[in-house]
Amino acid sequence: MSQSKEIIISKSSIPIFAIVLLAMIFVAGLFVVGFDQGHIFSLVIGEEAFADLYIHELTHDMRHAAGFPCH
Amino acid sequence: MKTAIFLIIVLISGALAGFVHGTVNFAIVEPYLDQAIGIENQNLFASGEAEDTPQFWAEYEGYRIWQKSGQVLAGVILGTSIGALFGLVFAFARNVLPGNNDIKKALVLAGIMWFTMYLIPFLKYPANPPTVGDSETVVLRAILYLSFIAISGFGALGFYQLSKKFQNKKKIIPLVGYGLFISIAFFVMPENPDEITAPMNLVNEFRMMSVLGVTSFWISVGVFLGLFWNRLKPHQETTPSFN
Repeated sequence: MSQSKEIIISKSSIPIFAIVLLAMIFVAGLFVVGFDQGHIFSLVIGEEAFADLYIHELTHDMRHAAGFPCH
Repeated sequence: MKTAIFLIIVLISGALAGFVHGTVNFAIVEPYLDQAIGIENQNLFASGEAEDTPQFWAEYEGYRIWQKSGQVLAGVILGTSIGALFGLVFAFARNVLPGNNDIKKALVLAGIMWFTMYLIPFLKYPANPPTVGDSETVVLRAILYLSFIAISGFGALGFYQLSKKFQNKKKIIPLVGYGLFISIAFFVMPENPDEITAPMNLVNEFRMMSVLGVTSFWISVGVFLGLFWNRLKPHQETTPSFN
């Protein structure tokens, strides 16, 4: 008679897609908070974004507080 | 590896720690930002670049509300971003980190990353409040800051790899090696080109609060990820077995 039971296997390997996804989130988030000077919105609204600086202003206080160069 | 659970707990831990960071900043850093921006405004009036009119103050209030409201949101975005890196490193390093549970292991790693990727670069290029910083040099300063974080982070990783070749007591050698390496980098890297024109007590107190804020992030991300990992164990897979 056959019996079924569960085996717990400990695996540390991370799938490549998970590594790529987390690396992309890391780079994108860092750029938005630390370095954007209108670049992201310029993809949608053009040159005007470099004057409006919506993301820069939104992240301004965190940018200073977290040690990123701001202006 | 239960990948979905791994991704979810990494991103949630980062976002929660970022929320803590933003909230701490809101409480302790904002007063210094207001003070520094006040000096910036007085400089604008003195130089004739702006006029002290009700219209100026109406515009000022508008963008300050926008900036302040972004503090916590930016904390969540930055936290998710840094948390993603932290989760990746934790997943790779978990088996070699000291500690008998995942909270201790995550806190040890958070301490190492706080030291190598934040404190060391901060000592070379400390945070500055508004009024300090020439917009002409912002790209150079960003390159210098990022480069130093990368040098310190990759340096620590390189010396860790080297430490695997040493036996027990000799493991101090790569540690000293990292110390020497980062000291050389510290003196070789160019200084921040901008002159500090704001009062030094304001700048120093701002920097102290900034360190406390960032430290609150690293402690939180270690605790959150460690707690989630301990409970959900994404590294374990359960497979049915038939006899």
